[in-house]
Amino acid sequence: MDLLIRVAGEAGQGVQTTGTLLVSALAEMGLHVFAIQSYMSRIRGGLNWFDVRIGDAPLYAGREQADVLVALTDEALATLRPHVTDGGAVLLDADPDNEDTEPGEGCLCIPLTAIAKETGGSSVMANAVAAGAVFALLGYDLSALTDYFATAFEKKGEETIEANVRCAEAGAGRLGESAGSLDAPEPSGEAVSVADGTEAVGLAAATAGVKVATAYPMTPATGILTYLAGVDETYGIVVEQAEDEIAAVNMVCGATYAGVPALTMTSGGGFALMVEGLSLAGIHELPLVIVLAQRPGPATGLPTRTAQQDLLFALHAGHGEFPRAIFAPGTPEQAYHLTRRALETAHRFQTPVILMTDQYLADLVMDTPPLDAVLRPIDRHVATDAGPDYMRYAVTDDGISPRAVPGGEAFVVLDSDVHTEDGHITEDLEAHVRLQDKRMRKLDGLTEHALAPDRYGPGDAEWLLLCWGSTYGPCREAVDRLRAEGQRAAMLHFGQVWPLKTSVVRRAVGLEGDDARMPARIVCVEGNQTGQFRTVLAEAGVPLECESLTKYDGLPFTGEEIAERIQT
Amino acid sequence: MINPPSDNQPAWCPGCGNFPILKTLDEAIEEAGLDRRRLVLVSGIGQAAKLPHYTRANVCNGLHGRALPAATGIKLANARLEVVVTSGDGDMYGEGGNHLLHAFRRNIGVKCFVHNNQVYGLTKGQASPTSDPGFKTKVQTHGVVAEPVRPLALAVVEGCSLVMRSTATDREHLRGMMVEALGHTGGTVLLDILQPCVTFNDVNTYKWYKERARPVPDDHDPTDFDAAMKLAMTWGEAIPIGVIYRSGRESFESKQPALTGGTLLEQFEKAAG
Repeated sequence: MDLLIRVAGEAGQGVQTTGTLLVSALAEMGLHVFAIQSYMSRIRGGLNWFDVRIGDAPLYAGREQADVLVALTDEALATLRPHVTDGGAVLLDADPDNEDTEPGEGCLCIPLTAIAKETGGSSVMANAVAAGAVFALLGYDLSALTDYFATAFEKKGEETIEANVRCAEAGAGRLGESAGSLDAPEPSGEAVSVADGTEAVGLAAATAGVKVATAYPMTPATGILTYLAGVDETYGIVVEQAEDEIAAVNMVCGATYAGVPALTMTSGGGFALMVEGLSLAGIHELPLVIVLAQRPGPATGLPTRTAQQDLLFALHAGHGEFPRAIFAPGTPEQAYHLTRRALETAHRFQTPVILMTDQYLADLVMDTPPLDAVLRPIDRHVATDAGPDYMRYAVTDDGISPRAVPGGEAFVVLDSDVHTEDGHITEDLEAHVRLQDKRMRKLDGLTEHALAPDRYGPGDAEWLLLCWGSTYGPCREAVDRLRAEGQRAAMLHFGQVWPLKTSVVRRAVGLEGDDARMPARIVCVEGNQTGQFRTVLAEAGVPLECESLTKYDGLPFTGEEIAERIQT
Repeated sequence: MINPPSDNQPAWCPGCGNFPILKTLDEAIEEAGLDRRRLVLVSGIGQAAKLPHYTRANVCNGLHGRALPAATGIKLANARLEVVVTSGDGDMYGEGGNHLLHAFRRNIGVKCFVHNNQVYGLTKGQASPTSDPGFKTKVQTHGVVAEPVRPLALAVVEGCSLVMRSTATDREHLRGMMVEALGHTGGTVLLDILQPCVTFNDVNTYKWYKERARPVPDDHDPTDFDAAMKLAMTWGEAIPIGVIYRSGRESFESKQPALTGGTLLEQFEKAAG
C-alpha cells in the first residue's frame, strides 16, 4: 500500500523544509519514498506544495489525490482540499478555539506556528510540529523523527535538537483521538537510501573529474551549479557563474581544449543562447557537455514547471552539420550513470553531448541505491605522444583524430573556420569536404555505441508504451496498473535518444527479430504537444504508426493518469 | 569541383596595420623569453583574429566576440599557459562587449591585445564601436551618431589589472608594451593597439595616429584612479600611449581554493593516475 502526504503553503513558509524533513525521517524508518514539489516562480507568497508519497514497495511517480493535507494557509486549504482522498485527513495551521476559523468537517485545526513559538521559541520550528502531528496521525513511533533531528541538527547543537523534539512531541500531542487513525504502510526498519535528480547529475559530474562548471543561473538547472559549488573543494572544481550562457558554453569549450572535463547547464532559453557554441564544439571537435534541464516554453514560459518540449531543438540545434549524442535519464540513478556516460561519450568521440533533464527529474526524490561518491576520473582519450609534426585533425577511418592538449611538445591548433588537418584556416574546398566527412564518420561510432532502450514488462506485450527521459517513472506505474487490470502491457524507455541504432530499436519495438511480433498498440508518451519523439524515431529510421499520448500543462504525468487515458 | 587556390599566407591587404602588429608580437615573444609551446593565442572573428594562424603557437580561434570566455576557460584549466587574446575592435568591443566588462571584473590572467582600427574590415567598411562620431560609411551614410566605446575607461572602472595603449605605427613602443603585458602576473591586461586600416578607414591613417600618439607624462602615476581615468578619456588632438592604469587587485585564479593544489589539469591527471 502507499500513502501521500501533501504539505502546502506560501513560498517562504517552510513547505520545502517540512517536506524534506518528512522524506528523510520516513526513508530512515524503512519506507519507500517518492517526493515531488509544485512551486511558483516567486520568493514569497503564492501556493507551493510538497508531496511525499510513502509505500511498502518502491514508488516511481506522484499522484494527484493526497491522503494527508497539511495546509499552512487558508488558500492552501481551499485549493487542495478537493484533492484529498475520501477518508483522508486534513491538518490546518489554525487555532481551534478561534471562532472565525471555519475549516469544515474532518479538518483538524492545530496552531502549528503558535506551538512552535511557544515550545521551540521560533516559528521556524512549525515544520517539526507539523511532522510530529503527521507521525502521530499515521501511528508512527515518534522516536524515528526525534532520532532524525539528532543527526540533522548535530552541528546546531543540543539545544536546537531538544527544541525540535519538544515541538514534534507537542504536535503529536494535539492529535487526540485522531492519532493512528489513518492506515499507513508498514516501515521495514531498514533505512532506504534516496536521491534527487539534481544531486545525481552533480555528483556524477564531480566524480567523473569535471574540473570547470559554468552556468548562468536558470531554473531548473541552477541546482546542479549549487551542488557543485558545495563540493568544489572536495573534488577540486572551479565553479564560475558566467555573465551569460554564451560565456558559459565558450568557457567550457576553452577548458576542454586545455584538457580538463568541463560542464555547463541551463534550460531552454539559455540553451538557445548556447547554440552557436554547440556548433563551435562540433567543428573544434571538443568534448562539450551541456545539461539541458527543460521547462515549458516558448520563451520564458513557465519557469518552475516541467516539460519535454526541447527534444527536436536539442537534436537540430546548431548551424552546419556535426555529430552529437543526446541522453535523457528517467530516474536519479539513471541520471548519475548517464551523466558519466555523457562525459565519457563526449571525450571518446570528441563531439558535443547533451544531457536532457527537466524540472520534474531535477526536483524529484526517490529510492536510489547509494551513489558512488569516490572520484573516478573518466578516460579523456588524450594523446600523450604528440610531437612537432602533430596535426589536430588527422584524417582517420573512424573520424576520431588523436587529441593532444596545449602545453606539451605539439602545437594544438583549433579553428572555427574550415581548416586543414593541422587546424589552420583554409578555403580549400577539397579539405572542407574531407574534414566534414571525417567529422561525420564519428556518427557511425556513436550509433554503434548507442544504448538500447530499456524494456519493462513482458516481451510479448499487446500494448507497448514508448517514453524517454523523466516519463520513465509514470510510465512504469502505468504499466503496473494496466497489468494489474489484466492488460498485457510493457514499456520501452529511451535513456539515449540520439543517435539510435535502427536495427536495435526495430527489434525492441517488435518490427524485426526471430520472434518479431508487433504489439497491437504502440503509444508514445511524452511531455510535449506535438509528439516529438515519434519524429526522432522516424529520423532514426523507425517510422512508426503509433498513438501519441502527450501532456503539456507544465505538470508531470502520473501513472494513474497514463493508465486511464490509454484506456479511454 | 573548382577549388580556389589556398595557402597559409596572411589574408591581409598590403600595408595593413596587422602586419606590424604580427611582426612586433613575434619579437615580443622572443624578447620575453616565452616558450611558444606554453603560449595559446585565442581569437574570435575578423581580420585581426586571423593573426594566430600566421605565427607559431597553440591556437584557439573561436566564435565572433567569444575569445574572452574561451580564454578564461583555458586559463582556468591550465594556469601555466600564457593565454593571449589577439583580436579586433569589432570582436572585442562590439560583439564581445559584455564579456569584456566581466573579464575586467574577474581579472583572470589573460592578456588582451586589441587591434583597434576603428572600422569593420572583413565585412567591408562599416563603423566599429570605436569609430568617431561623424565617421561616414556605406551603412552609416549620415555619419556615426553613437558615442564611441572607451575601452580604457571601462577597463579602469572595472579594475582591470593592467591597462595600456599603444599603436601599430610605433613598433618600438608597441614591443615594450607587449613585453610588459606578457610578463604581467597580476590578472587581466588590456592593450589597446591603434591600427590603421588602409582600405576602409581614410580618416584614422598611419599619419593620423603618428601625429597624435603621445607617451603618457613621465609623472603619471598609473595607480592613481583619477589620473588614469583622465588619460583613458583623452582622445582627439593628443592620444596618450603607454601604461594608463594598474589596479593592484589580486588575480581571479589566486582566489580559487580549487587551484591551490596545482592547475586543474595537473589535479585531473594526478587523480587519473
